[in-house]
Amino acid sequence: MTSPATAGRAAAASARRRRQLLLGRLALAAALLLGWDLLFRYLGPVYMAPPLAVLVRLAELAGNGQLLADLSVTLQACIAGFALGTAGGAALPLLLRLSPRLTRAVEPYVMASMGVPVFTLVPLLILWFGIDLLPKIIITAVMVFYIVFVGTFAGLRAIDGRLVAMARLVGASGTRVAREIYWNGILPYLFASLKLALPRALSATIVAEFLVADAGLGFYIENSRQQADTVGVFAGIVMVVALVLGADALLKLWERRALRWRPVDRQLNPVS
Amino acid sequence: MAEGPGDGAEPPVLEMRDVGRCFASRDTGDAVQWVIRHLSFKVAAGEFVTIIGPSGAGKSTLLNLIAQTDLPSAGEILLRGTCIAAPGRRRLNPGVDRQIGYVTQDDNLLPWRSMLDNVLFPLEVQGRLDEEGRRRAATLVDAVGLTGFERHYPHELSGGMRKRCALIRTLVYDPPIILMDEPFGALDAQTRSQLQADLLRLWSMAGKTILFVTHDVAEAIALADRILILSRSPTAIAADCPVPIPRPRDLQNIYAVDGFAALHDTIRRQIQ
Amino acid sequence: MSPSRDPKAAQPDPAAGHGRARRKHRVRLIADRLLVGLALLALWQVASLASGSYWISPPLETLQRLAELALEGQLAMHAGYTLRAALFGFLIGGIPGLLLPFLLRRLPLLAEIVDPFMTAGYGLPKLALAPLLMLWFGIGIESKVALVASVIFFLVYFSTAAGIRSVDIRHLRMAQIAGASEAQLARKIIWPAAVPFVFAGLRISLPYAIGGAVIAELISSNRGLGYLVQLGAMNFDTSTVFAALAAIALIVLTANWLVVRAETHLLRWRPPQEPALGEIPA
Repeated sequence: MTSPATAGRAAAASARRRRQLLLGRLALAAALLLGWDLLFRYLGPVYMAPPLAVLVRLAELAGNGQLLADLSVTLQACIAGFALGTAGGAALPLLLRLSPRLTRAVEPYVMASMGVPVFTLVPLLILWFGIDLLPKIIITAVMVFYIVFVGTFAGLRAIDGRLVAMARLVGASGTRVAREIYWNGILPYLFASLKLALPRALSATIVAEFLVADAGLGFYIENSRQQADTVGVFAGIVMVVALVLGADALLKLWERRALRWRPVDRQLNPVS
Repeated sequence: MAEGPGDGAEPPVLEMRDVGRCFASRDTGDAVQWVIRHLSFKVAAGEFVTIIGPSGAGKSTLLNLIAQTDLPSAGEILLRGTCIAAPGRRRLNPGVDRQIGYVTQDDNLLPWRSMLDNVLFPLEVQGRLDEEGRRRAATLVDAVGLTGFERHYPHELSGGMRKRCALIRTLVYDPPIILMDEPFGALDAQTRSQLQADLLRLWSMAGKTILFVTHDVAEAIALADRILILSRSPTAIAADCPVPIPRPRDLQNIYAVDGFAALHDTIRRQIQ
Repeated sequence: MSPSRDPKAAQPDPAAGHGRARRKHRVRLIADRLLVGLALLALWQVASLASGSYWISPPLETLQRLAELALEGQLAMHAGYTLRAALFGFLIGGIPGLLLPFLLRRLPLLAEIVDPFMTAGYGLPKLALAPLLMLWFGIGIESKVALVASVIFFLVYFSTAAGIRSVDIRHLRMAQIAGASEAQLARKIIWPAAVPFVFAGLRISLPYAIGGAVIAELISSNRGLGYLVQLGAMNFDTSTVFAALAAIALIVLTANWLVVRAETHLLRWRPPQEPALGEIPA
């Protein structure tokens, strides 16, 4: 048993540590901002944009509606690609399940195709489909497809056969087994892959916009760079970062609600 | 053999007639290996039969045949005089239209359902989730002392609680025959004897026919009306011995009951 | 996710047995795979016939172009440039990413302070930073190296940190009781336990390094395989585009194969692993 005195000491120590941690993080954040400002003073406005100027620019863009316009172009391509890639990536493993022999025959080709950096296809897609939304949608979809495919595949493989047997034994129909056991079994894997895929989908759309576009966040950043508008580059990147981190936070929230039944799981999240 | 109490006017609830199960061995090509061969016995309604045998004696295979998650390669299995399984039939009917419940070694609880929802799962898939079913589930939850844990997920329950949940999940839809495959194997001695007592109480209340596989001689004697002793592979019935200990039994002091020690000795010698 | 992994290790063989049946199974599998390969080639050919070789360069023409590029020395020049950017970025990002977790292990407070910043850095879309890096480092090789390094650093950092976290605390206690110094602990207990994770990190980052260099070249460059793709596309020369794509894929696959070989060699002591498809792809 711990005496009340030692318990009190332990509580005080942990409170002290929390305080130190908070102070340390604040100090580090302040140092980063200060470093940014110092770099601006040292390097000059060609290389750095001061934090305040970036904020002002963002407010301007929001005010004249350009931010919303660019954002909606980017999000359109991203959401369409994300949906397509998720649907394909989740459906293919289910189809492959029908034939294990085909799965094994196709496997090395799927693996090999993953080796090609997806973005190298952009010039080809522009050649084929022009500079509209389509190439961006395809790139985003391909990016998402592989991640979801592998995640769903792993989830399917991890389905516990004993649960399926149990469900059949108590009288569950085939569709019931699919809905209850397979769907719930795959769900954590699907979430893990969606969480991984969402930021990548966004950056895929944006990088595709670097390469070809006449609107969108990526276009805004790259266009600013080409016009040596450093503040514009910074403002665009801040916007992208906020978007990615925001999307990630939203997905995490949704996941926590949908997977309440899971014990805390570190295995599926490399970073937590 | 197997002149059990099933011989009488009404047909036995369950009858195995010369049942065999073989597997093709891949090493040798066409040669088959018999796991079970020439196995026959009868079980009367309301009887509690334990099955005991050396490890690797195809005990689980035997239960799988009765529950029809597997089909026999020889002989036939009769339920109340009607043949439910014989070689040549192709379609499995796991659980024989809810006539047979099966409590497996693993609890096989669905991790994404709360304790109560796990218990209700069979009723749900059978389309019988009504007021009466819910009431019965509540009664069973109460009978095994799980009240207050209805909303807990399986990972939040102890091993003994999970076992109880799996047990009442089978009782809730009222199958007349229940198979149990070393259900209490992985539990500590204390929990185990509690669960044994729970089981006997539920059995005397509900009037089920129970086939209970175990490798623990004391458990086999403590629970059963009759013990079937299996021979080493290929498995058949080596002996059929009634347990002359009167009910209700005091499981705590079953060791002191007249005849227990002698029976224990006989059976242990048989399975060695 | 390693394409070069031995197929028999990657798939739990359902007909696992011995002798004839198993050999027959292997032969059928290889035949199946060859068949699928041929079907894909045929599909490619048909697609190119249907759309015209102007849009889709047929297989043979692509191979021819690849050979031409190789003979002219162009392939070696561009590939060399890309690989150099990838390698430098890999080293500049990878070495600190490898060492930092070992350092932070000794400074738990600092480790906790930087943790949210590292997580944010990991989540940051590094590729979206490419224009910024070009602003800073110009359109030469420096900006490509910087992009690759920024991607690799976080990948290696987090896999190494996971490796260090995986160290069995009982092994550490045992070694401490036996009198090991901190340096010995790091070398003899923590490092061997972390190696599998470090390798997993390397395997994931290697294609990223090459891919990152190529993407930077796509955006703005006058050399490298990414530039070759872009150049071919601008001249409506699909055979060059396809040849460059094939070269990139080949390089990534070879690099992957090398890492897996090194990994299996160095980690001989490990019990056989679960198939690789369980991981999320790089």
